[in-house]
Amino acid sequence: MGLGVIKKVAVMILLIMFLSYPVAYSSSSSETTMHTNNWAVLVCTSRFWFNYRHMANTLSLYRTVKRLGIPDERIILMLADDMACNARNKYPAQVFNNENHRLNLYGDNVEVDYRGYEVTVENFLRVLTGRHETSVPRSKRLLSDEGSHILLYMTGHGGDEFLKFQDSEELQSHDLADAVKQMKEKRRFKELLIMVDTCQASTLFSQLHSPGVLAIGSSKKGENSYSHHLDSDVGVSVVDRFTFYTLAFFERLNMYDNASLSSLFNSYNPNLLMSTAYYRMDLYQCHLEEVPVTNFFGSVMKTIHTDSAYRSRSNKKIGAAKTKMSPDESISDSDSDEEDQFNNLTAEKYLQYSVGQLWSVILSNANTFESIDSLVCYGLLLMLPLLIFSTWLSKYDWGNIP
Amino acid sequence: QQQQEEEFTEELLMKPLPDRKVLAHFHFQSEAPLAADESSFARHHHLFPKSISQLVQKYHIKAMELSFTQGRWNYERWGGFDSISSHNAKPPGVELWAVFDVPLHQVDASWKNLTHSLSGLFCASINFLESSTSYSDPEWAFQSALGSLRYGTLPREAVCTENLTPWLKLLPCRDKAGLSSLMDRPSIYKSFYHSQQLHLTMSTDPSDGSRSGIILEQTLTVVLQPNDQKAGMSHLSKTKIQPSWSLSSIFGRKISGRCVLAKLSNVYLHAERSLVNQLENLQKNTVKFAANDTGLEDFRRNAGFELSVTPERVHAELEKSSSILYEYPIKEYTDTEQFDLGLTWVHPIVWSSPHAPLYASRFLMGSGNERGAIAISLKSTEMTQGLVAAYNVEERCKLQVNVLQIVPWYVKVYYHTLQLLVDERPQALTDFVEIMRVSPSEDKVSPGVMELVLQFPCEMKSAVLSIEFDKGFLHIDEYPPDANQGFDIPSAIISFPDFHAGLQFSDKSQSKSPLLSKLQERSPVLSYTEVLLVPLTTPDFSMPYNVITITCTVFALYFGSLLNVLRRRVGEEERLLKNKDANKTVFFRRELAKLSAKLRGRPLELTLPCPSSSSSSSSFVSPKLILRVLLVAGIAVVWQYYSQ
Repeated sequence: MGLGVIKKVAVMILLIMFLSYPVAYSSSSSETTMHTNNWAVLVCTSRFWFNYRHMANTLSLYRTVKRLGIPDERIILMLADDMACNARNKYPAQVFNNENHRLNLYGDNVEVDYRGYEVTVENFLRVLTGRHETSVPRSKRLLSDEGSHILLYMTGHGGDEFLKFQDSEELQSHDLADAVKQMKEKRRFKELLIMVDTCQASTLFSQLHSPGVLAIGSSKKGENSYSHHLDSDVGVSVVDRFTFYTLAFFERLNMYDNASLSSLFNSYNPNLLMSTAYYRMDLYQCHLEEVPVTNFFGSVMKTIHTDSAYRSRSNKKIGAAKTKMSPDESISDSDSDEEDQFNNLTAEKYLQYSVGQLWSVILSNANTFESIDSLVCYGLLLMLPLLIFSTWLSKYDWGNIP
Repeated sequence: QQQQEEEFTEELLMKPLPDRKVLAHFHFQSEAPLAADESSFARHHHLFPKSISQLVQKYHIKAMELSFTQGRWNYERWGGFDSISSHNAKPPGVELWAVFDVPLHQVDASWKNLTHSLSGLFCASINFLESSTSYSDPEWAFQSALGSLRYGTLPREAVCTENLTPWLKLLPCRDKAGLSSLMDRPSIYKSFYHSQQLHLTMSTDPSDGSRSGIILEQTLTVVLQPNDQKAGMSHLSKTKIQPSWSLSSIFGRKISGRCVLAKLSNVYLHAERSLVNQLENLQKNTVKFAANDTGLEDFRRNAGFELSVTPERVHAELEKSSSILYEYPIKEYTDTEQFDLGLTWVHPIVWSSPHAPLYASRFLMGSGNERGAIAISLKSTEMTQGLVAAYNVEERCKLQVNVLQIVPWYVKVYYHTLQLLVDERPQALTDFVEIMRVSPSEDKVSPGVMELVLQFPCEMKSAVLSIEFDKGFLHIDEYPPDANQGFDIPSAIISFPDFHAGLQFSDKSQSKSPLLSKLQERSPVLSYTEVLLVPLTTPDFSMPYNVITITCTVFALYFGSLLNVLRRRVGEEERLLKNKDANKTVFFRRELAKLSAKLRGRPLELTLPCPSSSSSSSSFVSPKLILRVLLVAGIAVVWQYYSQ
């Protein structure tokens, strides 16, 4: 009897240890892992010459991250078309994002990892999740680990919760959220900054739930992102406003400046952008005032000075996660409520009209051919939700042409 | 056994062209001996790029050539019968061929892995060549001594700085020192023709036939337009003078010194045979040069143009009035004393480049969205006319032409419709075709390959090969995002095995220079035709089209059914039934009375249940319902047809 009690207690102790061990390990790994390397994934999803500015946007970020210290083998550059050597380009092998042509973004040293028809949603998600075919070379893989800070920049044409790839595919916000969740579970990043420059950009990361992700978009739901200016020599718009002011911010920095992400995010003026640069930080634990921009855009890492050799410190600073709602978010909620009411009103109106019409038909034919009339009436009733759904779908499609 | 050293040489060939342009041909060659133990991966290289040696070792490459080309080589004006037009004139886009030293069943796997590795190395979409619809295995277009050859092209691939950057990173000095520092990117990509090339071969030991090393040739061939200096025109003659140029005016830079790792660093200026002919004629006509007739001394100074730098050496061919090559070593120049070769024209001179035996071009025939034809036109040049005079005494002159044409699978070529016109008259194929190899295309599996060996009489003026095709359809998710632009048919390859391009210099000590060795190499004359653009029928991918189609279909179904219900006339149907009832005979009165009672909703007079009557009633209802459904479907189809 005593031996049985001792066994039971031992089993319970072992069970408690087994259950608590992975929980402790997984919760502490992302916080205590050192920041060891930086990666950048820069995506331009637009094809055709009149989308010149989207390639100039991406090359602006490419120039910035290279200048601030990320090497080429840690940059995945995806350009959906060739603008620099396009036959329409008056300045071959040169891409400008300003009409003064002071800065050639293309330079002498460009390495494009995915180009032209290779820029697809499938290849983009394979880069994020690391699930490639075996023959894909290492230069086309995102070889990040649990100590990596990743900058993910996307630009192109988009809409409510999607981003268009080459006018033939869409990346949905759920696809991006699933890929980031998969990256988190596979320990492919420590911190991730998603930067999107497109119409209704903030809706693209609205489905994200993974911790350690910071996201900023150039416009909110219902807003467009506008280009900055037209270059009469090149013939098209050469840059978007969000990226123009981002580059203006970074051209004043060099590798050793201590500008914070908070100063970058606060530098976006809605009057200059003609849209609201909205960012999510509810999934990010650190304070933006304490995070330097080179945490994501450069590769300057902190040097830890120890007084004695072979002794590791464990300074765990866990910041409290901020969950307060910003005024912009509350406005967005009210807009969403109004839109829902409008949809309900439309649905009720359609239903009332159709029911009235149907009822008069039933009354006029009640005495004869009752069985056939019943079949037709049931068909009409079944068609009503299809019609309402199609009307709603067409309204959705028309409204989202960016 | 003597340990061989790694070598690197850099050379630049400048050549004025007859249509007022300048050819610049950069030639870099690296050599590395193979390791004594081939299985060792720990080999360190001093000059040779490690990624290339790993590529050769991993995929067992015997020979490989990869080219990135922008523009089209003008065979009429820039020549078709010299080493550069046979080796460095390439079709637009990406062209890759490779010969593997593996068993036959592993060749395709090696090719697939090679394309992926090259796409990672050179920032291009070469991995698209891994699909079996994108490559083929021609037999006779290239040298038949090679073994397992695979060949693929991507005509629409863009060529830009991102392809030149990794190509330059294979050089020991990159673009920081030496001749490669001349490569100003806007100048290079402003050119009329731009082709960068990577050629891999194995060198063999002269004692035994074993493989002794890897030879990597990197060439960049550009055709540039010098700036027209109108102020410099001092002659008022009818013929316009050629524009003068210098390295600094073309590239915007001068050569500040050689790559110190280079064993040889030379710049050459090439004047071809026809130009030398004109120069000699001009020199004879000039009175003041008549007194000086001292052989080679005349070539350093001539009456046609002036050189800003005196050449160190002049190479002339063995024959009389041959082409001339001026040589400038770069070993003495530094940052303070830079090398800037300039050519200033004094007299207007008109000359022409040597042509291939036949001038090949290709075009599409036919109209509409269903079918068309591909025509390959071969026209004789003045070279064949010279051949007729040479051969006329001895025997009947024959001109062998090899044709290779690769067509994608969605262009369905009917090889039985192959026709041949010689001097604009239809001929039987068997009279001219010596060997023919046709591999028809298979949907989504392999392209169509046609290889012909033709024998033409030398006095032929023109020949046209034509073949008909149907334009196929792709699955909707196989269309590229810009499908309305059309689809490319890669260039056909026309080669002349009996003719060999190559100069023959008199000096015997020029085997040290890889560029001069290549210029003297006797290689078959090769021409590429144009890339054809076939507009296939494309579905409408636009978003408004989809919205209109879906909405109109739903509306048509709804309003069709509604109108059908509203248009029904109850009284008229009852009257028709009564007329039918009166016309029936007394024998069927009982059955009709039952049917009428059933339709009117009256209770049956008979007390017994009648299952046959109820089944008859339901069968009467069913065809009418089916007819109504078909009517609605027809209205929807007509509506959709007219709404398009």
